[in-house]
Parts: sequence; structure tokens; C-alpha cells
Amino acid sequence: MTTTHATLRRTPDSHDYPTRHYDLVKEFVIALAIMTGLSLVLAGIFSSPDDKAITMSSWAKADPADVVATATGELAGTTTSATYGAPYNHASEGQSVLGLKLQKWGGVGIPVNSADLVLQPLRAVSGNAALTQALAQWDALPAAQQTTQATAYADALAKAPDGNPAQVASGSYGPVPVLTTSFLGLASSGGLEGSLTSSGTFYGTDQTRAMLLLSDGAYLEDSAVADHLGGDQWGMMNEVGNYPGQPWMWLYTFWYQVKPFSTSENADTQVWALMMLLTLVLALVPWIPGVRSIPRLIPVHRLIWRDHYRRR
Amino acid sequence: MSAPASDARERSWTSAVRDHVAGLVPEGQALPDRQPAYVSSWIYVFGVATLAALVVVVGSGVVLAMGGAAWWHTSGLGHFVNSVHLWSVELFFAAMVVHLWGKFWMAAWRGNRGLTWVTGVVSFITSIGAAFTGYLVQSNFDSQWISGEAKDGINSIGVGGFFNVLNTGQMLLWHVTLLPIGVGIIAVMHVILVRRHGVVPPLDDEAEEVAR
Amino acid sequence: MGIAFTAGKYIHWGVVSISLTNFLIIVGMIVIFALALVLPFPGAHQQQPQQHKPDEDES
Repeated sequence: MTTTHATLRRTPDSHDYPTRHYDLVKEFVIALAIMTGLSLVLAGIFSSPDDKAITMSSWAKADPADVVATATGELAGTTTSATYGAPYNHASEGQSVLGLKLQKWGGVGIPVNSADLVLQPLRAVSGNAALTQALAQWDALPAAQQTTQATAYADALAKAPDGNPAQVASGSYGPVPVLTTSFLGLASSGGLEGSLTSSGTFYGTDQTRAMLLLSDGAYLEDSAVADHLGGDQWGMMNEVGNYPGQPWMWLYTFWYQVKPFSTSENADTQVWALMMLLTLVLALVPWIPGVRSIPRLIPVHRLIWRDHYRRR
Repeated sequence: MSAPASDARERSWTSAVRDHVAGLVPEGQALPDRQPAYVSSWIYVFGVATLAALVVVVGSGVVLAMGGAAWWHTSGLGHFVNSVHLWSVELFFAAMVVHLWGKFWMAAWRGNRGLTWVTGVVSFITSIGAAFTGYLVQSNFDSQWISGEAKDGINSIGVGGFFNVLNTGQMLLWHVTLLPIGVGIIAVMHVILVRRHGVVPPLDDEAEEVAR
Repeated sequence: MGIAFTAGKYIHWGVVSISLTNFLIIVGMIVIFALALVLPFPGAHQQQPQQHKPDEDES
């Protein structure tokens, strides 16, 4: 029979120790005064960023070729939103991790027809005979031919110098050029603002459809990348200009910078699953052998309680 | 179960709740004016610093709410209050993380304080969620980019149909009501647990008992 | 293409890319943590409840 036995460490009751006067309320009031003062001073010196939102009109003026290409892609069903999957449509199975198809299981809770992101605002326009005719022409086409003509026009735009619609090679594009040119005109004139948010109602507080359209273009991402906010630029931690960002997001964004996540089609689910696991590990530190012993092995506490140890 | 003959009190829901609340913290320990003598290091101020910063975050948030969601774009005072809100959040997270570092190196979970550690981690994560929804409701370029990116992460785990980061009407209400309530409840639980168990005694003070 | 924004200052080191502001915040936190560990804390010798310092307010 062995003579080894388990030893349990019993942490003493904190109330058994000699005490000292300590004014908790005064401590809180002082802390509040310091934090308030620091916040006011930092706010006064450094302020906070407020880069204006990209409007449909500013997008159309800054990058008209991108607006036309995006509208064409919506009609062709090739944009990011059109091929997204849940929660917008069934076009893709979406991402999975460890065989769990989490994205698909979420279901199509926010159905969005990407072609309607273009067609719905155009249908609301009145007094434009050419547009009305183009819409009627589009509606009369079988779905396969809609896709063919829109895709052909998208390819032609990609080949045109600077994607300029005016310099597109002639071809069989049906009503697509008129539709997309009208869409650009609508955007430039400011008529597209709010159109996808309110969708004919008076009050609009949901920017889903407007944001999906904007995200389908290149201008939003190009602007963000120019400001060092891109996903592979540690963007989750960053803020525009030199303003303070979100340093606490460092570990979440780190994984996107390295393989296998940086080249994975399932990076979002994978990184989320990994971060959930690490968060659980952090919460369970008191019970993880080895990790819970680190404070004993690296005695930072000898500094914290040096007065106590000296008096013992 | 019959009450002992000497117990003349009638049991009631009220007395049960009262006894439970009174028993949460040892008598005199909710707001004591003395602490164990080993509480004498600057590392101890970062918990209260975090709470103080949270008060400034909520206070500046209340002022922003009074002006409305778009007030800070058109008012100089509104923009300043927004800046106070941003910087108090930075101070809040900085203090919380330094507090976390200190508590780790003190192994502050000892002596049945595991739940204190867990509520601390949960309040950290909930605070990140609250801050995240704050970035979404700025109604500027940041909101557009952050919502566009975040939707991919949240959609990828199947939650996006319910928690729609592109819906500022929803995100604003989460940011202003639901998440602050969540942070507040967890912070209260955390502080009650600290007062309940007292500040953790120094490492190397433990008595060693031999298990039979 | 008219991109309106320009990035702030960033420090690049291998795969790491961090804004100067974020870097200073993190360094500041580490410095404050270190100072909190080493700076003496006042009132460490007040263990007897009866002892009063001469300049204490005895209200």
C-alpha cells in the first residue's frame, strides 16, 4: 500500500485576518471623479470620428461604373447577396464547422430577392417611357434569358475601359443597359436614398436591403481598405484615421490573418467556434490543471502582497 | 415540514425573499469600512475603476439618448458627448482588462470564488457585445462597414435571421436597453459575490490538510 | 474612383499590423499594470483601529 496521500490546500477565510481602515465609498467617489475627468479631457483633446455614411448618391458620383456593374450583377444573380444563402436566400449552403452546417440551419429568416434590389426602386419611377418599356421587356423574358443577357452585359462591362458603360462593345443585352443606366441616374439624383429602407412605407428603420446592395459593390470595401479597416488588415481592431479602435478584439481578428483561416471558405464559422472555445477556457481557468497553477509558478503575487509577507 | 415549536414566525414568500437577500452577504460586509490588512496595493483599484468608468459610459449614453440617435451629427455638444462616451468605453475596457490581469496573478478564484471569476468573464463578453452594438448605431461610415462585415460572422453561425446587424432599429434598442441591462445585472452579481466571500487572501497562506 | 478616406499611422511587424493609437493604449495598460504592482500603497500601517494620524478629520 502506498503512503502517498492527497494534500488539499484550504484558503483561509478573509474575515479571519487583521483589518485596516478602508473607505469604499470614498474610493468609489474618487474613482468616479478620476474617470469622469479623464473622459472629459480625452474627449476634449482627441474627440471622436464621424466619417459620413456613403449615400447612394455619393456612391454613384464617386464610382458610377461600380454602380452599373453592381446593378447588372444583381440582375444576373451573381452578386454576393444573390449567392449568399441563409438568411437571405437558398442559393448556397453557406458555411459550416466540424460538419455542422450552422448557416443553413439558421434558415432564410430575412428573404431578399437581389434582382428586386434594382427592380423595385425602378418600378416606382414614373414618367420615364424608356424605363417603363425596359421593365416590361424584362418581365416578359423567361428567367434563363434574363440571366443570359445580364451576364453577357456584365462580361462586356468588365472588358470595357474603366468599366465605362458608354464604351461597352455592342451585343445582345436586351433591356439590361437601359435598366442599369436608369438605376445609376436614380442613384445620382438622390432618388434611391431610403428607397430600399422604407420600401414604400413611411417609417424605415431597417437598412438591410440598402446595405446588401451597397455591400455588393466594390466602393464600400475599397473605402474601408483605404482606411485600414479590411478583414485581412486586422480591421476588426481598427478605427478610421488615428482614432482609438477596439484593442480588446485583437484575438478575434488575429485568426483571420493566419492560415488556415485566412484562406478558408468557412473562416467565419471556424473563427467563431474557436473563440467560443477559448472564451469557455477563460471562464473555466479556476478548474483547469496547470493553467490555474501559473500564478503560483510565476510569483507576481509576491509584489502585490509584499507588505503582508514582510509582516508575517 | 413542520416548523419547530420555538419558531413563531410564519413562513411566507416575503420572508423567504428577505432571508435570501439578507443572506447573500455576511452581516456588515455589504459596505464595510474595514478591509483585510493585505488589501494594500494599487492593483486593487481597477475593479472600482471599471465600475466608475461604466457609470460615465451609461451617463454619457443617457445624454446621447436624450438628444436622439442622430443628434451628435448635427450638434457640437452632441459630438462632444459622443466623444466622452467613446473615451469612457476605452477607459472601461482598459481598467477591466488590467483588473483581469491582476485577478489572474492573484489566483483570485481560490476559496470558493470560482463563480466570481466566471461572472467576471461573462461581464467582459457581454460588455464586448454592448460595445459592438454601439458601433453599429453610429449612423455613419463606420456603422456601414462594421455591420456589413459583422453580418457575415453572425450569419455564418445561423443567428443572423434573428439578430440582424443591418437593422439599426433593432440594434439601437439592443444597445440602449437590453445589453446595458445585461451588463448591469451581471456586474451586480459579480460585486455581490466579491462582498460575500471577501477579498481573496494572499497565495502561500493556505493551510495544508492531509486528505484521509 | 474617389475614395475619400486615408488611413492613420500603422506599425507593421510580420503578420502583425496595429494602429499606433491602439499600440500606445496597450503599452499604456502594461505600464499602468506594472506601476500598480510596484508603487507603494498608502496607509499600509494602519492596522490598529485606535491609532489616528494627526491630520485626519475626526468627525
